[in-house]
Amino acid sequence: MLYLMYGIFAPNLRFLGTTNVTSNNSNRRPRPEHPSPVRHGFIPEEWFTFFYPKTGVTGPYVFGGALSTYLISKEIYVLEHEFYSGLSLAAVLIVLVKKLGPSVAAYLDKGIDEYEKGWESSRTEQIKDLETAVEHEKKEQWRTDGQKMIMEIKKENIHMQLEAAYRERLSHVYQEVKKRLDYQVHLQDIERKLAQKHMATWIVDNVKKSFTPEQEQIVLNRCISDLQSLVQKA
Amino acid sequence: MGFGDYPKEYNPSVHGPYDPARYYGPQDTKFFDLKLGEVGAWFGRRQKTPQALAGAISRCWWRWQHNYVHPKRTGIAPFFQLAVGGMVFFYVLNYNRLKHHKNYKYH
Repeated sequence: MLYLMYGIFAPNLRFLGTTNVTSNNSNRRPRPEHPSPVRHGFIPEEWFTFFYPKTGVTGPYVFGGALSTYLISKEIYVLEHEFYSGLSLAAVLIVLVKKLGPSVAAYLDKGIDEYEKGWESSRTEQIKDLETAVEHEKKEQWRTDGQKMIMEIKKENIHMQLEAAYRERLSHVYQEVKKRLDYQVHLQDIERKLAQKHMATWIVDNVKKSFTPEQEQIVLNRCISDLQSLVQKA
Repeated sequence: MGFGDYPKEYNPSVHGPYDPARYYGPQDTKFFDLKLGEVGAWFGRRQKTPQALAGAISRCWWRWQHNYVHPKRTGIAPFFQLAVGGMVFFYVLNYNRLKHHKNYKYH
C-alpha cells in the first residue's frame, strides 16, 4: 500500500533528467534509521513535549482529557454504536500489536537488512568491476605507450638506413672521382712514356744516321782491339 | 507556477536536490514557538492562495512520510496515524448524520 502511495506522490523526475544533477549530497536529507518517536503507539512525541515548558509532563494528558471530556460531554463526539465497536477493535489491535509486534518487527528488520545488503553488495561489486576495468584500461594505455617506443625505434632505423644510403653514395662519388683522376694520371703516364720512347728512338735514329762508315770502322776496330786486350789480361 | 513545477524560491544550484518536505521561501517563526498574541499576525503573513495551501499540505505529507514512513526501521505508528486521521476525517464528514444518534437532549 505504501508503495502505491509513493507512486502517486513520487517526486517530479524531470529534475533527474537535467544536467543540474551533481553529486551534491550535502543538502540531501538523510534517510533516518528509526522513525520519529511516538507515544502510545502513534501520537507524535512533539505533541507532548510542546506542553512541557508551560505545564510540565502532565499537561498534555490534562489537555487531552479535558478536550475529550468536553467533546463527549457536549456530545460533539457522539458515543454511538461505532464508538463501542471501535473500542473493541482497538483492544484487539493493542493485544495483537503487543503479542505479535516484536516478532514481526524482527522478521521485517531482518528482511530489510538483507534487502539493503543485496543492494550494497551489488553496488560494491559494480564499483569493483569498474575499478578493475579502469585498471585494465590504464594497463592497456601503458602497453600502447610501448608502441611509441617501437615507433621511435622504427624512425631511428629509417634514419640509419638513410645515413647508410648517404654514406654509400658518398663513397660511390669518391670512387668515381678517384677512378676519373686515376684515368687522368694513367693517361699522362702513358703520354709521357710514349713521348719518352719516341724521343729516345728519334735521338738514337738521328745518332745512328749521323755515323759515317769510317767512324763505324774505327769503332769496330777499337772494339776488336779492346776485346783482344781483354783476352790477354784474362 | 503550474502543475508539476518547483516552487519559485527553489534554486537547484543553491539548495541541492529538491526536498518536497522543505519550504524554500523565507523562514518565519515556527507556529509552535509563537506566543498567543502573535498568532493573528502570523496568519496575516501567510499566503492564502490555493497553490500555497496545496503546497503546505504537500510539504506536511512529505514531512510525515520522512518522519514515519520512510525510516528504515519504521514501526506500525504511521498505519495507526492514518487510521486515526481517517476516523477523524470521516467523523467530520458524517457529522450531519451522526449527530442524530445523540443520547441526551440537553447538555
